Amino acid sequence: MSDDAAVIPAIPSTDFGDEPNWQRLHPATLALAVVKLGPRSLNFLPAVAALGFTGNWIWIVPAVGAFLLFSLLAAWFQWLRFRFLVGDDEVVIESGVFSRQHRTIPLDRIQDVSIEQGLVSRALGIAKVGFETGAGGKENDASLDAIALDSAQALRTTIRAHRSGEAAVAPVAADAPEAAPAQEDRLLFAMTPRQLLVAGLFNFSLAALAVVGAGMQFFDGLLPFDFNVFNPRDWIDIAEDYGLDQWLLAHRWIAGVGAVLSLLLIGFASGIATMLFANWDFRLTREPRALRRTRGLTTRTDVAVPVRRVQAAILVTGWFRRRFGWHELRLQSLASDGGKERDHQVVPFAKLGDIDPVLAEVAIKRPDAGQSWQRSHRVVALGPVIGAVCATIGGGIALLLGNAVGWLALVAAPLIALIAFWAARYHRWTDLGEQVAIRRGWWKPKMTLLPHASVQSVDLKSDFILRPLGLATLVFGVPGGSSLATHEIPAIPLAAAQDLRTRILAARARS
Amino acid sequence: MTDTPAHPTDPFDAEALNATEGLDPVDPAYTQVLRIATALNLIPLAIGASVFDALLIRHLEGPYGLITAAAWVIAAIVIVSFPSRRVSRWGYKIGEGQLRVARGWLFRTDTIVPFVRVQHIDVGQGPIERWFGLSHLIVHTSGTHNSTVTLPGLHADLAAAMRETIRRHIQTDFA
Repeated sequence: MSDDAAVIPAIPSTDFGDEPNWQRLHPATLALAVVKLGPRSLNFLPAVAALGFTGNWIWIVPAVGAFLLFSLLAAWFQWLRFRFLVGDDEVVIESGVFSRQHRTIPLDRIQDVSIEQGLVSRALGIAKVGFETGAGGKENDASLDAIALDSAQALRTTIRAHRSGEAAVAPVAADAPEAAPAQEDRLLFAMTPRQLLVAGLFNFSLAALAVVGAGMQFFDGLLPFDFNVFNPRDWIDIAEDYGLDQWLLAHRWIAGVGAVLSLLLIGFASGIATMLFANWDFRLTREPRALRRTRGLTTRTDVAVPVRRVQAAILVTGWFRRRFGWHELRLQSLASDGGKERDHQVVPFAKLGDIDPVLAEVAIKRPDAGQSWQRSHRVVALGPVIGAVCATIGGGIALLLGNAVGWLALVAAPLIALIAFWAARYHRWTDLGEQVAIRRGWWKPKMTLLPHASVQSVDLKSDFILRPLGLATLVFGVPGGSSLATHEIPAIPLAAAQDLRTRILAARARS
Repeated sequence: MTDTPAHPTDPFDAEALNATEGLDPVDPAYTQVLRIATALNLIPLAIGASVFDALLIRHLEGPYGLITAAAWVIAAIVIVSFPSRRVSRWGYKIGEGQLRVARGWLFRTDTIVPFVRVQHIDVGQGPIERWFGLSHLIVHTSGTHNSTVTLPGLHADLAAAMRETIRRHIQTDFA
């Protein structure tokens, strides 16, 4: 903290005195700016074209010149107003011409330093340095674009030295609980073909049919034959050709049963097929530091989930498979692979007895059957109910205008409202001391097990509907996972929400 | 609202709102910043509405002047009266190892970030803010939700001091 005096001068300080600690970007950055100008000047082409079309040929060269000059000036100003400081325990970056920004990155928070060189950068001997801090969202990470290659490497060495100096102290405590399980790889969970078959049966889905149908609609004009499987009229034509229509009229219910049976068959077959392709030879093994998952028939994937990076566990099931005790386990982790799969599916289909050992490996425990749960207020169903009311009104208007489709809305809307109201009872939560369990959904029951220590920030939200009812919604900021699926406990009493927030924030970071 | 003593009964009494929740108000000068920012957003819209009115409605011999008047009256009301209300609903509290930021009334969000969960800290200042000697503090966390928490309307010195406070608390406990 000896450099406090150097850091404290607030941002508006315009004295860019050449204190020895402050560094600037490499001057060759300006040359890089010229190169970057190439693609950007495409934006200027319409203006040139406009000048040309209006016959003002004389102005083209001055206009292009002015554009180049302004761009270069802007780049120069940016370069002038950008400076950074590598202190004993932090990196400070100041930037911005009109909008000033002063960023402090503690060295402890820097996970890694990336060095990136493009073609031009290599010719100029400069490199872009990126600081990976694990802040949510890639755009929030800071970078220095660009400094000399050797100083970039020196910077990386400095920061890595800081990391390892700290690592020499930290892991002693952190590794202790990990030393207990066996050091060699241990099989935690595997799926036999028989299990896959059962899982596939429960995976019944008509989605594949819909996809094929949509595809046929789309490619209708491109197909070599004049027959669309999904067009009833084509079938009727065929039936008439073969005299089948007479038979169908006579045995209508047999045809109905046949249609239902074939639909069922397609549903089951597609369910089994997707399960087989995705999870063939599924193996989950425990390695010294990570859970490793291999699976797949045609494309085999091999993913390692570092145990210490696991932030939360999510247990998913379905309204029907739940009666047979089948569940799926996903782990939310500070994903480093950055793929499309944000939550790692570590157990695709198993009974709870098989899932518990996996949960034990990541030090998360499942609430037992006797656990008492607290419910969210029924007001959580308000959104769908309002939607249903709107649909009803829309349907009514359609009927008034003489459109029979309106009936569909009138029938569906109360059903949706009823289901929403029913499902609202399944919004429950409980505090297990070291973790929070959140349950929701009736059609697809989902239980999130969130250790207090994974929570990075807590929002307590209320609005004009919840406030008069004395309710609030808690939203947790958790690393990893999708930004669409936030962890929240909706509509619980304000006092309970405040109490839970205090308890969660008291927890220390996960180690 | 009688059963919610934790909140003031008058939703427009801003002082009561921050006081009951134990929050500090942001700098009153932030009202001017918001006002100018709002004006910069709304005046072009109002001008656009006027042009639309003059070019199209008058051309069609419709009720010329109605849209222009409405646009400017609404813009004036929003610019004059809204910023102070919005500012009064921002509140913050720094201490006990955590930063608390609350905002909004119709949809109120009260965020708490423990200092130890902060990844890095920005102090920013736009041109309008500089005019009034204000800055905004942005705290980055590793959570997917709330990856950035912004607190505007701080005096520049205060923002720098807060940054130092948070920085000192950041410890080597990140897994």
